[in-house]
Amino acid sequence: MTDHRIVSGDEWVDARRRLLAKEKDFLRLRDELSRERRELPWERVAKSYVFDGPAGRESLADLFAGRSQLIVYHFMFAPEAETGCKSCSFWADNYNGIIPHLNQRDVSFAAVSRAPVPKLQAFAARLGWTFKWVSSGNNDFNYDYHVSFRPQDVERGTATYNYAEQRKAMPDLPGFSVFFKDADDHIFHTYSTYARGLDPMNVAYQLLDLVPKGRDETGLQHAMAWVRLHDQYAT
Amino acid sequence: MTDHQVVSRDEWIDARRQLLAKEKALLRLREDLSRERRELPWEPVAKSYVFDGAAGKETLADLFAGRSQLIVYHFMFAPDSDAGCRGCSFWADNYNGIIPHLSQRDVSFAAVSRAPLPKLQAFAARMGWGFKWVSGANSDFNYDYQASFRKEDVARGAATYNYASYTDSMPDKPGFSVFFRDAAGDIFHTYSTYARGLDPINAVFQLLDLVPKGRDESGLAHPMSWVKLHDQYETMSG
Repeated sequence: MTDHRIVSGDEWVDARRRLLAKEKDFLRLRDELSRERRELPWERVAKSYVFDGPAGRESLADLFAGRSQLIVYHFMFAPEAETGCKSCSFWADNYNGIIPHLNQRDVSFAAVSRAPVPKLQAFAARLGWTFKWVSSGNNDFNYDYHVSFRPQDVERGTATYNYAEQRKAMPDLPGFSVFFKDADDHIFHTYSTYARGLDPMNVAYQLLDLVPKGRDETGLQHAMAWVRLHDQYAT
Repeated sequence: MTDHQVVSRDEWIDARRQLLAKEKALLRLREDLSRERRELPWEPVAKSYVFDGAAGKETLADLFAGRSQLIVYHFMFAPDSDAGCRGCSFWADNYNGIIPHLSQRDVSFAAVSRAPLPKLQAFAARMGWGFKWVSGANSDFNYDYQASFRKEDVARGAATYNYASYTDSMPDKPGFSVFFRDAAGDIFHTYSTYARGLDPINAVFQLLDLVPKGRDESGLAHPMSWVKLHDQYETMSG
């Protein structure tokens, strides 16, 4: 028998309505924050970046695919690794199915990793993913947007992640970056989010926030210790 | 040329850091709310519900599949329709790929619709979905959890949706409901969310909240009038 408080239908609805009022307040605050985010200034992208894609070389402008907005996921996959990071793969399971909807809102999407294209393609095939995924193995893109770190930069204290100094010697960390291309083909960096800022883009976590046990990660060595590639869970 | 304010790197970082502080404050607020949600009382599920699933008749207890927590999506698909609701299909594109991860956290997942099982199966095959989907055609389930509405209940003001009186003419509306099954096999309804409460469970909207144009729905007949089934958009994805 459970020791959670059990009530009648009427009492339950009363308690639920009180929480609903707070949930509505929260969504209003979130909408307000989204408005402030859109009011952030932009910075010009001064460098030209060329990526390796399945169809050959592609510039940052090419990744817009005729649209004016581009979302990049910085996917942790080091050149020497055989598989992508399991947490980035968890996030990919969330966005893999929704790209056609984003495209309707003038948004193109691409994941960018440092590993070479054949490794990205083999891993995407294994996990059943079809989103656009290009390699930045030959450019500074993931370094410039503060998700890849050169050991010498970490050592002399010039590496940053999530707008703070990155002291740990990690080669890559995850993030989303957003770019805008105007009618004159000038490209601007409008936004990047890292670390906990990625949380709202993971629907599985939003669903876990609705269940009695929640995310249930406090007893674990680290928060996402339970996460595996989706084909590696014991069934 | 854009007329948006364009600044130097240093100025950009300063502005971004100020917003980051607010983003962190909002995430903390969300965690408080999630904790309060878990403190809500539960109500017993007194009726037994039987659904039609791929393996035959399945009870609500069966849908837990050995786990203690169950999330149900109330998927709008009326018995006389040939396709599921496009808004619900949009949400399904969001959760279809993440079920193996939920399973690891002691959560089973099922969508429940009023349409008969063969229609659900044909539509899932067309959309490429693999999540569990059962028919509640022969049960009161979607009515009891206030995602389906009998005309006579609406007429006499006894129908509710999102914890308020429901006076619309739609036979079904969307929602998520959460259930807990204890060691003794008793089942409790712990939570349901409807309407705008579904918004955080849609990663497209969270991503659109990051881009310059936002959701860009203000000029439309209604906010989601741009949404179609993912195989019905005219342009190719990329």
